[in-house]
Amino acid sequence: MHAEDSAAPPSHAGSPQATPRGASGRPRFWLTNEFGLIVLIAVFVTAFGLLTPGFLSPFNLFALGRTAAINVMIGLSMMVVIVTGGLNLAVGAIGVCAAMACGWLIQDAGLPWPLAILGGLAMGAALGFVNGWTVVRSGLHSFIITLASMSIFFGVMIFLSRGESYRELPSVFSSFGRLRFLDGTLSPLVLVAVAVAVLLVVLYRFTVAGREMLAAGAKPEAAALSGIRVDRVFIYCHMLSGLLAGSAALMLVARNGAALPSMAGQLGQDWLLPAFLGPVLGGTLLSGGRVSVVGTVLGALLVTLLTSGLLLLQVGEFWVQAFLGLLLLLAVLMDMARRSFLARRRMV
Amino acid sequence: MGPLSRYARTDWFGPLLVTVLAIVIVGAFNPSFLSPLNIQVLLLAISVNALIAFSQMIIIAVGQMNLSVGAIGGLAAISFAGMMQVWGLPAPVAAVLALLIGLGAGMVNGAFIAWTGISAFVITLASLSMFKGINLGITQAQPFYGIPDAVKAFGNTTFIDPLPWLVLPTALVAAGLWFLLNRQALGRFILAVGGNQHAAELSGISVGFTVVAAHAISGLLAALAGIMLVARLQIGQPTIGDDWLILSFAAPVIGGAVLSGGHVSVSATLLGVVIVAIITQALVLFNIDPFLVQVVLGVLILWAVGINRLRELRLRKAATAGA
Repeated sequence: MHAEDSAAPPSHAGSPQATPRGASGRPRFWLTNEFGLIVLIAVFVTAFGLLTPGFLSPFNLFALGRTAAINVMIGLSMMVVIVTGGLNLAVGAIGVCAAMACGWLIQDAGLPWPLAILGGLAMGAALGFVNGWTVVRSGLHSFIITLASMSIFFGVMIFLSRGESYRELPSVFSSFGRLRFLDGTLSPLVLVAVAVAVLLVVLYRFTVAGREMLAAGAKPEAAALSGIRVDRVFIYCHMLSGLLAGSAALMLVARNGAALPSMAGQLGQDWLLPAFLGPVLGGTLLSGGRVSVVGTVLGALLVTLLTSGLLLLQVGEFWVQAFLGLLLLLAVLMDMARRSFLARRRMV
Repeated sequence: MGPLSRYARTDWFGPLLVTVLAIVIVGAFNPSFLSPLNIQVLLLAISVNALIAFSQMIIIAVGQMNLSVGAIGGLAAISFAGMMQVWGLPAPVAAVLALLIGLGAGMVNGAFIAWTGISAFVITLASLSMFKGINLGITQAQPFYGIPDAVKAFGNTTFIDPLPWLVLPTALVAAGLWFLLNRQALGRFILAVGGNQHAAELSGISVGFTVVAAHAISGLLAALAGIMLVARLQIGQPTIGDDWLILSFAAPVIGGAVLSGGHVSVSATLLGVVIVAIITQALVLFNIDPFLVQVVLGVLILWAVGINRLRELRLRKAATAGA
């Protein structure tokens, strides 16, 4: 056993079990996480469609799409940091700060709304930079850094805003949130989320920056030896996370028609569960180096679907939260079972 | 090596220095800080917050994290209040049952982590939302008001003048934890697993049992904190525990706990709680915006992990220089 490990690491030309389905270990489509999620989504759509009369109504599909789009963005904003093997507890706090910055720029600074949106997004990216820079410079785990920064960002935001919300936003925001396509079933927010997801797929598949992020996350030492500036890449990941969290919050502003300091709960903690549910359901490795943008989108969609369906079944919104926790637990257990099944299949 | 530099290497020396300095400075600027009433208020806050910190500390010791400390505390708190109001149970029985709920919730966390090997972060994030959901499902977000007078008195009166009754359970827990971590096999197992899980396993320690035990203790302490908070607030609030997360990490980290596990200090964590309480109190006394407490807590965490990191690097340098 030991002799084999050390003797011939890469040369598996003669061994049959090392080659099937490519070195990347990409299993057949029907064994992937994404396929499982599509099946689950189809099952639940059918079940809720039959059980509750209003589930497939245009209005509910519209509301579902809007919420799903925001959940997808929250999930993606966590996913881009999980790539590095870290996490970002401050997504909610950054999101609220970005939305409040946008509200301040419009209402108090009197900027036109396109500039204010850019300002809000820049705020998100800047706070992400602060996180990334601190993590890289201190060499500490991002858990404790972002735990502290979530408290700091949110505290400063509440201090500066005095806990007041910005309600007199130009009507573009609320009319964008209310706009409907395709017989009133499709919200433009869905298109935004889909566009962002496509951009991220392109980033990770086809660009040098994306490949560097994956390589740096999988094995920082090896990536550094092959000439990747790991520190800089990690900072970019955190900035991207802040940017996406900011976009999610601005989409929430479009839906609510106002920028509220409480829109992500105390310290932005309410975003934590959706932020992790999407990537974890989608099969993103928490240890870093592997992402599934499609999986995260499908995961967030499934979560939104379940929440909406359960609410229509009158389960009560408080029990839905307990159920989502259970779902996260089931998801990781199923993922574990799937992995061990795949591992066994390859062994035989 | 002089005695001073030997003390400077311990975990509690730095926090103690900061505590004394903080007391002197705040007391000099505002003499009412040292009034018996203020000391009593301070001790009430410290008693509950210390339990929250210990609940996280024992998990940090085993090299993990527990996001559900607040959710367990909240669930135990509303169970305690609810069992007294709805079922009319006497307070001691309700307290024991609520403690058992906390113990059980902690064991569920530990069992899932040990059985599946999935990171404690994900498991406790899932259980955080389950426990909080059950809490809100039972209470429908409405507080329980029917708290017996004896319980209210326990949470708000003193046994010797500035010392409130609530200090007693916390003092017992602190002594018990010190004894556990320094003199008991289980405590040493917890630190060993936190220090190097693989080495601990090879030397015959049952890692699974140790992890479950640590989470059970954590759940028990979180439940005790929840019960004591009900006594202090005189009301069974469903929101109890919502703001414990930052606090639970701040104090152990200020007390020099190594987040990767294997190294914690009961006394230094207690001093960490005292520092946080004094600073929070000072903000109130000097009429500084209470919203800034969150900022101060965050800065304290960053500052403490920075100091710990420096200390670690210096120790490593000293070790390599000596060798």
